Order: sequence, then structure tokens, then C-alpha cells
Amino acid sequence: MSQAGAVKAKADATASVFARSRPRYGELVIRASLVIAALITVLTTVGIVFALASETISFLGEVPLHDFLFGTTWSPLFEPPSYGVIPLVTGTLLTTAIGMIVGIPLGVGSAIYLSEYATSRTRKFFKPILETLAGVPTVVFGYFALTVVTPWLRKIGIEVDAFNALSGGLVIGILIVPTIASISEDALSAVPQGLREASFGLGAGRFQTSLRVVVPAAFSGIIASIVLGASRAIGETMVVLLAAGQRPNLTLDVREPVETMATFIAATGKGDIPTGSLDYKTIFAVGALLFVMTFILNIISTWVVNRYREEYE
Amino acid sequence: MSPAHDDSTGTSTMDADANTPSPSHEPVHMQTPALNEHMTPKPEAAEKIFELTDVSVRYSGKLAVKDVTVGIGTKQITALIGASGCGKSTLLRCLNRMNDLIPGATVDGSVKYRGQDLYASNVDPVQVRKRIGMVFQKPNPFPKSIYDNIAFGPRVLGMNKDRNLDEIVENALTRASLWDEVKDRLDESAIGMSGGQQQRLCIARTIATNPQVILMDEPCSALDPISTSRIEDLMNELKEQFTIVVVTHNMQQAARVSDMTAYFTVEVAEDDKRYGRLVEFAETETIFTNPSDQRTEDYVTGKVG
Ligand SMILES: Nc1ncnc2c1ncn2[C@@H]1O[C@H](COP(=O)(O)OP(=O)(O)OP(=O)(O)O)[C@@H](O)[C@H]1O
Ligand SMILES: [Mg+2]
Repeated sequence: MSQAGAVKAKADATASVFARSRPRYGELVIRASLVIAALITVLTTVGIVFALASETISFLGEVPLHDFLFGTTWSPLFEPPSYGVIPLVTGTLLTTAIGMIVGIPLGVGSAIYLSEYATSRTRKFFKPILETLAGVPTVVFGYFALTVVTPWLRKIGIEVDAFNALSGGLVIGILIVPTIASISEDALSAVPQGLREASFGLGAGRFQTSLRVVVPAAFSGIIASIVLGASRAIGETMVVLLAAGQRPNLTLDVREPVETMATFIAATGKGDIPTGSLDYKTIFAVGALLFVMTFILNIISTWVVNRYREEYE
Repeated sequence: MSPAHDDSTGTSTMDADANTPSPSHEPVHMQTPALNEHMTPKPEAAEKIFELTDVSVRYSGKLAVKDVTVGIGTKQITALIGASGCGKSTLLRCLNRMNDLIPGATVDGSVKYRGQDLYASNVDPVQVRKRIGMVFQKPNPFPKSIYDNIAFGPRVLGMNKDRNLDEIVENALTRASLWDEVKDRLDESAIGMSGGQQQRLCIARTIATNPQVILMDEPCSALDPISTSRIEDLMNELKEQFTIVVVTHNMQQAARVSDMTAYFTVEVAEDDKRYGRLVEFAETETIFTNPSDQRTEDYVTGKVG
């Protein structure tokens, strides 16, 4: 309570010292708009889930759940149609796995470099580059994979098909580096300087300090960045559409073309499919599965973070 | 100095002295110098482990402390006192090259540790810090278990190869008089300890690496009087084995624990630039009872800052 306020309150002996002189309309307006913003976000999410769920349930009325989840042939647009989603799932997991193998070390490595090794001048140079990379449209990455990476893979002796999982996966890896690097870097930079000093003061070198003190302290942030990267990789559409092809292919051979769930959705959705038809519902069913996979990924990461995090405050 | 030295290999001279016990075995009664002074060698006469000559430190070119010449005795407690901003922490951080971590910090003059220039181009700061440990003003335990906090140093230094880690941990905690309080919760996070316990843990963590010197930057400033007196007792015990340099704002603490005291002040140059200067360095008793500089007397008697 300010001095002036106290004096004023004293003048009005009956009023409480802490009584508010007038209602704070400004505060009410701000609060209301914040609540509305939060509600819009929540409602949008609920809306998406609802749309996915209703079409998916209707899809499962025509195609048995078992056939959908465990069938190994995906040919919904041919006669007779087959709705086994496994080839799409393996295609997605294959390109995602390649992407993560590339993206995690590059992303976390650059984050550690930027936060623990780079001088502030180098950091100022590299961060905008990373952010630019994040801003490049994915279609550009897709053509890069198709026209640069695939020929280059052949040149170094890997006999890939014109469309192949490897090229798409590698470029997805590069695509998610900025996501992983920038969120990891934020987490690493947030680790109190005192912890680094403690470690150096005990005779640890820079590498030991990074690996044994800073990275564990920033662990939850790093995991969060990886999960976000993985979600992007799973949902990535343009790169795999252009570079990995559209053949639902139950294989682990990275040299062959594959179709991912996102590719199917994009490629089928752009054709003129009548609303309410089975083909239309198929798109939603695959979308729902994609959603569930990302959701499970998030649950696993929350568990990992709670299990291994080192909280510094 | 430049971070580029980080990669240079440790110098053999420094490796050699790490495990060799110091030649000077001080008599036990050194612990209470004030009581039987006539029997004790004067603190001033102690063998010097650090020799600083004309040390000036700059942050991005801006002078922080100027031309400090001082020798620090082996197995003594040396206190650095003076008003805020006079460069005590800055000087302390020169002694184990902690300043290397601050971009733009430069050190001129010579800092010799056992005759060896710590800022020579072939010196690896990591090797320096293995022998010269540091305890900070704000307790900074790692967000790990109590056990892992203590074991961190020995693991990093590879000490657990020839000694049992459990033994090292128990020993360090015992010496920091923390063992009884934590022996049943060694696997709990150190973040859950009280501030005083955390600071003693940080001291134990440093002891566990068996350094030659422990630098302490206001180790008690965040602690209550009881924790403070426990840490002071601890310092008195530790000085039988370690050399301690302590920065403190607490006059009584400097008077109670230290053998030698250095008083610093902020000097203002004509162009209004401010930097720290060493005013007087002498036996603690002299500084507190019979200082030769008027500024020292004003400071220790509380007339200024
Ligand atoms: N990291 C830094 N970057 C730039 N200047 C610094 C840095 N650290 C200290 N200084 C400057 O150096 C001078 C001495 O600071 P220092 O921290 O050594 O003083 P101190 O005697 O330890 O003070 P205190 O008693 O408040 O801890 C101050 O003017 C301070 O502003
Ligand atoms: Mg200080």
C-alpha cells in the first residue's frame, strides 16, 4: 500500500485500509482476452479430435479395426480395396527413424556447441543461419532430396531407386535440426552458470562439464526438443512425397520407395474425393492413427523426462 | 590468456607436485596462533604457495584491480577483505584461472604457484583447477544425489580407479562434518538440503578431489550464524592439510579464522575510473589491532563502508 493511499484511507475512517478505490476495468479486459485466447486453442484441439474421431468411427463401421491395424496390404483405391495400414506405418517409421538418426546428433550437437563452446560472436553468426533453415519451405527440401541427395547417394555407391526412403529420411533429419537445436540450446543456456563454475572448479574440462553437468541439467528441455523434432518428422509430408515416392511398400530396405501416412493423406486428399465416401473416411482414419502415434510419443517423453530429469531449482 | 590453452596438455611439473605431500609439516599448535604466539613461527614467515607480482585484471579492457603484489602462505588461511567492488572475487578467480571462463577478462603481471607461472602459455587451466579448488558465494550443488555430488570430482579426475568411491565420499562428508546428517539420504537430491548443508556439501565436494588449495568466495554470506561458525571450524581443521584463501565481508570472520589478511580498497583515478588496489597485507592480528594504513584502520573499525 502506498503512502498516499494510506493517508487517503485514514481520511475515510470507516473504509478499510486496503479497500479498492475503483474497479479495475483494464485488468478485467486483459484477463478476459487471455481466457478467450486459451479457450480458442483448447476448442480448436477438441474440434480436430472430434472431426478425426467421428469420421474414423464411421470408417471402422465399414472396415474392421483388426484389418485396418494389422493388414499388410494398403490399396484403398484399387479393386478390391485393402485397408491394411502397416505398410504406411513402417514407411513412416522408417523415414522418421532415419531422420532422427541424422537430426538428433546434429541438433543436440549444434546446441551443445552453440551454448557451451561458441564465443558470443560465433553464436550471433550461427543462430540466424539455423533460424533461416527453419524458415525454408519444406517443398524446397523435398526437391533438394529428389534432385541432389538421391543422385549423390548413387554417386557414392548406394543403389537407391529414384524414389527412396533413405533420401527422404536424410533430408527430414536436416529439416528437424533447427527445431532440435534451438529448443535444446535454450534449455542448455538456461542452466545456471554456477553449475558450470562448480564443475570447472573441481577440475573438469569443458567436455566433461557439458556432458556430466549441463546436459543432464537441461535433459527435460533436450527431450522436449527431440519429441518435437520427432513429431515433425512423423508428420512431414512434402519431403517424403517428393523424394520417397507413393508406393505403399512393406519393407525395411531404405533404398526402396515407401509411402508414409502423411504422404497418403496429402496425395489422396488433393484428388477429388466425394465427402462421406469410404475413401474420404480413410483419410481421417489414417490421420487419427497419426495423431495417436504422436500422442503416445508425447506420453513416453513425459515419462522419460519425469524419470530422469535433474531439477536445478 | 586465452581459452585456446584448454587443449594444451598438462605440464609435468604440476602433475608431479599434485600427489607429493608438501614438505612443510606444520606443528599442531599452529591452529591457535594467537594464544601461544611466542612459540609459533610468525604467519608472515610461512613458505609461500602463491606469489603474485603486479597483477592487474581487466574486463574487456576496463581495469578492475591494479598492481597487486602479494604472497600467500602454505597451509594458512588468507583473508581478502574490502568494500564491494574492490576486486576481491576478481583476484581470487585469478588463482585458479576461473577468470578464463569470463569472455574479455585478461590478467597481467605474474601469478606463480609453487614457482610456476599459472598464466604461462603451456599451462592447462583444467590441470590448475584440479589442484586449486573453489567454493562459491552461492551454494551451487549439482542437481544430482548427495553421493553423486561428492563423487563428481573423483570420477572426473579418475581417482576412483585406485580408491573406493564410497570411502572417498564418506571421508569427505565426515571431514565437512556432514556425514551424520546425510548418511541415510545419500541418494536424495542435494537440492533438497538447507542452504548451510548445501554449502558444506560444496566444501566436501571440493575436499573429495584432494586439492592443494581451496579458494572460498564469501562462503558464509548466505548462511545463518550457526552454519557460519560450523564452516569456520571446518576451515580451521582443513588448514592442517590445505591452503585456504577466503573472501569475506565479515570482519569478525576474518579476525577469527585467518592468519594473514589483505585489505583492498576502491581507488578513483583522475578520469573517474574506479579500480581495486591492495592497501595493506599483513598478519591478521596486525591488520585488526595495529594497521599501518589509516584507511585499513577506518575500515576494520567500521568507520567507513
Ligand atoms: N564478469 C565481469 N564482467 C565485467 N566486469 C566485472 C565482472 N566481474 C566483476 N567486474 C567488475 O570488476 C570490479 C571488481 O569486481 P569484483 O566482483 O571482483 O569485486 P568484489 O570485491 O568481489 O565485490 P563484492 O564484495 O561485491 O563481491 C567491479 O567493478 C565489477 O563491476
Ligand atoms: Mg565478490
